[in-house]
Parts: sequence; structure tokens; C-alpha cells
Amino acid sequence: MTSISHPATLAPAPSRPVPRDWSRVIAVVAVSILALVVISPLFLLAVASLKPDRFQILADMGSFRAFWVSDPSLQNFRDVWTFSGALPFGRYLLNSLIILFVTVLGGVFLNSMAAFVLAWGRLPGRAVILTALIALYIVPQESIVLPLLTIVNRVGLSDSFAAQILPFMASPLYIFLIYQFFIQVPRDIYDAATVDGAGPFRIYWSVFLPISLPVLATVAILLGIETWNQYLWPLMVTQTDRARPISVGIASFFGHDSVYWNSAMAASVMMMIPVLIFYLAFQRWFVSSFISSAVKG
Amino acid sequence: MSIDAVPAGGAGRRGALFGGRVQEAAMLLPALALIAVFLLLPFLSSFRIALTNERLIPRPVPPRFVGLDNFQNILSDHEFWVALWNVARFTLMVLPVQCGFALAVALILNTKLPFRNVFRGLFFLPAITSMVVVCVIWATLFQYPTGPFNQILSVLSFGMAGPIDWLGDPRFAMPALVLLSAWQAYGFQMIVYLAGLQGIPESLYEAAELDGANRWQRFWHVTMPSLRQTHIFVLIITTIQAFKLFTQVNILTQGGPRGTTDTVVHYMFTAGFVNQRLGLASAVAIILFFIVLIVSLVQRFVVRDRK
Repeated sequence: MTSISHPATLAPAPSRPVPRDWSRVIAVVAVSILALVVISPLFLLAVASLKPDRFQILADMGSFRAFWVSDPSLQNFRDVWTFSGALPFGRYLLNSLIILFVTVLGGVFLNSMAAFVLAWGRLPGRAVILTALIALYIVPQESIVLPLLTIVNRVGLSDSFAAQILPFMASPLYIFLIYQFFIQVPRDIYDAATVDGAGPFRIYWSVFLPISLPVLATVAILLGIETWNQYLWPLMVTQTDRARPISVGIASFFGHDSVYWNSAMAASVMMMIPVLIFYLAFQRWFVSSFISSAVKG
Repeated sequence: MSIDAVPAGGAGRRGALFGGRVQEAAMLLPALALIAVFLLLPFLSSFRIALTNERLIPRPVPPRFVGLDNFQNILSDHEFWVALWNVARFTLMVLPVQCGFALAVALILNTKLPFRNVFRGLFFLPAITSMVVVCVIWATLFQYPTGPFNQILSVLSFGMAGPIDWLGDPRFAMPALVLLSAWQAYGFQMIVYLAGLQGIPESLYEAAELDGANRWQRFWHVTMPSLRQTHIFVLIITTIQAFKLFTQVNILTQGGPRGTTDTVVHYMFTAGFVNQRLGLASAVAIILFFIVLIVSLVQRFVVRDRK
């Protein structure tokens, strides 16, 4: 962490030495039970995904058998992965990952580059651009998707990866988040780089980027979660399996007369695993990212 | 060291400055161009489209200017008012459930509980779960007649309360969506409350304790007033989220049963995407935009008032 105060940091509560007594044990047990009840749906999902019989899944749901699988099987995952008929899940997952990586990498780069110019550049009209961006931030995605669909159709991007990547890479919110971080960087750092004769891009790339890891991680996580969970837009813009993401793929299980619960469970677990891995690896940053998305107000 | 002291520096610097500006423009342009094409342009064109009878897939006949007909049609459409009322109902139910639970968990996590960070991580898990996945899980929880919710209901009522068709009964479909949505999203409000709680100075509690305030009084007279800004922020954010309700409805109920879970975004989606009436749907989109705008402005004014 640099000396620049990051709004996302959670200060630990002041802790006084507390006598080790029973009330603490009871508190931990009580909170553990509450936590287990709250996350039990996720546990049920994991258990159910290991049961190959979809009628068994439903029958078990109403009893404690929902929490237990006697003969775990990866059959559902194999089915979902190789299902070459209506729903090619391997393809959907791959599509989602491609969209995720390009959007996040491109988004972090483009947004931070723009934020740097807005914060430290000498281009005239920066204040106007910044104000316009902040005003645009209020526009909800839901209210632009239909005209966006006509634009995407007109330029021939319908049913493509580009249609799911380009509209969401650059974002007023993320430019603003990074901008707020950049303007707190001490003037000396910028001046020192200018004296060395470095151009704006060099200063951005080799001076500002390396010290902005916390805010860049925040943007990457928020943009990543947002991209991974997109639903309304890909539902409208993808007509075939070519670029369809896993969220829309899973939802299409519900279109069938009888829901294939076993496959739906396995596919859902597959959709959760990448997020879970990142969450376990970067838990601190995940939680603090969500707070800094809150300071925008 | 001053560059100006170097004789050739002046011209060189001006050149660098010019080059610098070109570079700056090149750095700013990609993001601005994308925002202009994929955010500003569709936003502006929605105002134009809303005044025409344009279709999603163009017909041989060019779209015609119809004035405010679309708005008139929407405002005289009973289904639109039902959708708006449903969203209001959803908001009124989800606010206390979601924010109340978030505050309760935040209060627990703000104590000197051992393993606080582990618990925080666990309680935050639903917030990173995709709504589609949440729908898969909760559809089985709500199963009729033998899903977990119905079994719990049966046990708690000693078999008196019959199984409920949660997602298929007009009386229970919306409350069912409220539960599922609150479960998925409370983590965010929890984190915001946690940050708010940690901003309350310990000295306030110590002073209250000296005055003989018990735990309950400290909560109502120290914690709640200190969280005022946080409350406003949380309420506004949750309200805006609630007005955009769509994914759960689209996957689980399709607006049914009997229109009881139809929402503004679902109405817009049906009008524009399913029925291809782009002009009409754009008018709905504009109404949604103004609802969100008004809610946000209310927040600005309330917050500014007290500062």
C-alpha cells in the first residue's frame, strides 16, 4: 500500500484484550450457525451437482439427504462438458472467459490511460470531459440496451464477441475511480518524470501504473464481476452458440419442459469456480473493491 | 534544475509540449470514442426512437414520427402500471429485508468476534454469486410441493400450513423473488454498513457507557444516528437496484403468475425485444432513466442538506 489513502481500506476495529470466556465461544458458535444457514444454498448446489439423477436431486431437496451424497459422481460435469446437442457448455464457458479477459485487460488499460490524461494532462477541455463523464454515469445500462442493439446490428457486430466486449470496456465510473486515485499522486512525482524528458505515455506507463495497483485491482475486480454476470445484453445480442456466454446458457435450461437439474447444477458450479478461485486468492481486495464502488456517490 | 536555462530548451520544450498533446489526445481518445459510440449515442438515439414507430428489425416502410404517442400508449396501458406497481412493491419489501439483514450481520462482524475475517468472507459469498446461478439453486429450494421451504413451513406449522407453490402462486411469487434477491445482494450493503460502523468513533460509545446507556440504548442513540449518511446511501443504491429488477423475473417467472412479477425492465424487454416495438420500448427506457435520475437527485439533495 502506498501512502496515498485508498478509500477501500477497512481499518481493523480497535481490539482490547478480552478474557477468554464462554461468551466468546458461544458467540462464535452462534455466528457459525448463522453463516452456515446463510451459505447453505451454495453448499446444496455443490452437493447436488455430484448427483447424476435429476429426479433424485429434487426428491432429496426436501430432506437432510440434500446435504449428503452417498456415491459422488462427476457424470453431470462430463455430460455438460461433452453435450454436443442443444447446449455446448464447454463452449459457453470458454466464450465467457474470452469476453472476461479481453474486457478486463482492455478496460483497465483504456480507462486508466484516459484517467491519467484527465488528471495530469495539459489538453484543453479536460474539465468539460470529466463533467460529461460523471453525468453519463447515471444512465443505467438497462435503458440503453435496445438502441445499442440497433447500433450493433447496423455495424454488423451482432452475435459476436466484439458486441459483448467493446460496449463495456470503457466506463465513466471506472475512469472516475482511477482519476480520483491519480489526482492524489504528489505533484513532485509527475514533475520529476517531466524533467527527465518523458512524454505523457511514458510517465503514465512507467510511473503512474506501477503505483496504482490497488485501484487497478479494484477496477479489474468490479469490471470482471460485472462482465461475468452480464445477462440482459448477451441474452439479446447472441442468437447462436458462437459467442453465447455461460450465464445465458444456464438460463436456457429453464426453457425446457422439464428442467435438467443435474446439468443445471453442474453448469452452475462451473460458472462459480473461476469467481471462487479469484475470490479466495484476492478476498481482501474483492471486499474493498465493492466499498470503493460505493464512494462514487 | 531548470530546463529554461538551457538555450535550446525553449524550442525543444515547445515541440515536446505539442507532441505531448498529440500523445495525450491519442491516450484519451479510445475510451472516449467507445463511450461516445456505445453509451452516449444509444442514449441520445433512444430519445429520437421513442418518438417514432421504429421496429427492431426494419420493415420495408420507413419508421414514422409519431410524436408522444408511445408515451401516451404506455401511460394508458394497464400492464405498464401493474409493472411499475410491482417494482414499487418489490422495492418496499426488499428494502427492509435486505438492508435490515445486512445491518444485522455488519453489527455482528463489527464486534470483537474471533475469526471475523473468515466470517466476513463467508457472509460475502452470495454477493459474488451470479444471479443466474442463484436462480438455479433457489428454484429447487422453492420446489412445489416438497422443496426445503415447504418442508420447513410444514415442520414449523406442525403440518397445518399447506405446501405453497412459491413461484406459481400470485400471492407468493413476488415475496419469493424478494427473498432470493435479498440473499444474493445483501453482501454489498453489509460491507457498506461495516465501513460506516468502523467510522464511528469509539469515544462516542465510551461517553454513552459513562452515562449509563445500555447496549440497546447505545444502538439507538449512538449507532443509528451516526450511520445516517450510510443509511441514505444504502437505501438509494438498493432502490435503484430494485427498479432494474429483471434477471430473476426473466428466468424464474417470466412476469407471471398473472402479471404479478412483471417489472419495468421486463415490460421494456417484452415490448422491444420480444414484440419488436422499438419505439415503445425506448419510451419505457426513458421513463426508467428518469426514475433512476430522480432517485439519485433525491440522494444528492438529502445528503447536501445535512452537510
